Amino acid sequence: MSENKILFEAGSFDGISEEIGKLTSNEESRLKLTPDNADSGLAKLVLTLVELIRKLVEKQAMRRVDGGSLTDDEIERLGATLMKLEEKMEEMKKHFNLTDRDLNINLGPLGDLM
Amino acid sequence: MHDNIVDRSKDISILEALDRVLNKGVILTGDVVISIADIDLIYLGVKLMLSSVETMEQLKSGRSIKEIQ
Amino acid sequence: MEKMIYALLSANTDQKEVISLLAGRKGLSGADLYLVSTAEMAVVACDIKRDDIIANSYNAIEYASVIEMLAQHFTLLPVRFGSVMESTDAILQMLERNLDDIQQNLLKVEKKYEFGLKIFCDSEKLKADLKAKPEAMSKKAETADQEITQSIYRDWVNKKLKEHRLEEMLLTYVDSVIAEIKGHLCMLQAVSKFNKMKTSTMIIDAVFLLDMERKDALIGAVADLQNQHSSLTFVLTGPWPPYNFVDFTVK
Repeated sequence: MSENKILFEAGSFDGISEEIGKLTSNEESRLKLTPDNADSGLAKLVLTLVELIRKLVEKQAMRRVDGGSLTDDEIERLGATLMKLEEKMEEMKKHFNLTDRDLNINLGPLGDLM
Repeated sequence: MHDNIVDRSKDISILEALDRVLNKGVILTGDVVISIADIDLIYLGVKLMLSSVETMEQLKSGRSIKEIQ
Repeated sequence: MEKMIYALLSANTDQKEVISLLAGRKGLSGADLYLVSTAEMAVVACDIKRDDIIANSYNAIEYASVIEMLAQHFTLLPVRFGSVMESTDAILQMLERNLDDIQQNLLKVEKKYEFGLKIFCDSEKLKADLKAKPEAMSKKAETADQEITQSIYRDWVNKKLKEHRLEEMLLTYVDSVIAEIKGHLCMLQAVSKFNKMKTSTMIIDAVFLLDMERKDALIGAVADLQNQHSSLTFVLTGPWPPYNFVDFTVK
């Protein structure tokens, strides 16, 4: 297909094609379980789900804090819990040699998990 | 410089076309032989194609999925 | 030998014309492209061995270009790359089973084309701009800044809260851009679908379905929007076969 399909584009192309490429998944973001990598594959799967839930909890917590319905004491405890959770997550990622990018699963046509 | 922009336009057109033909359109359930995993590999190829000429040459030689794996 | 399916067409389509268009073209494995039709519908297919279906971008683009060529002349439903069926009988049965869905979808996209609009920005820069706007410094945002530091936990919450608010502001901004686009679109009688924040720099990924005569009006509308939003980059592509407007699963 040699046809140029761009109908309108004002800025520069720098970065745009890379960005479109990013939409598409990459090999690292796939969950590949084989007998040889079962350990790290499982760690990646479990941590991905934990990270997803952690982020959802954090987001919901911030909504509550923003809403102003929490007392100072509640916010304090919330902060302590979430902060420790975040630190723990960083430790685990380091331990299993995983990056933020690893902790995402490409769901094909559904896009990325996170 | 001008050529560069033409190439970029073509890259984007190709990516847009691939995004559609691989991810959209009627799915004949149960008969799709290309799995999601295989599609990932095509995308990987496309991404590399954008970033390096060397990979473009590899793609041109039309390596199959099996070979890549 | 399997049959690779390219597109679904209405049987009202001028079949002689389809056949003459297909005459010079070859399918993926170099086999001829042909029509399989029932009284109501038709599909464009080619024979292929399962092992010959090599999933690379060259083949995917070849496949797409056949659909593209046909779509320039007829209303059709594009089929996803890699779809094969066992036999002509299997195709006929599939057409029979899905008659209603296929006809409804064909009707929806009749004589219409798909256009894609992607809007990019540096979202970090955009967040910084949003933060700098006076109306953004709401009372709530200020209180967070002035909060007396009580503990590291409270600091942490305040930091996260700021990020959260910036994200919400970004989303509100993206929604306002979408609303603006929709305003332009209702004049074009377009069907549209929007995706937000697909990546950190692609804030909007939209597709439209509209008549070819309205193409220039669409380009004009996008040019206007670009003029009003200098910090965003608009990229409009098309016309495409209606890939994003097929919404049924073949039974």
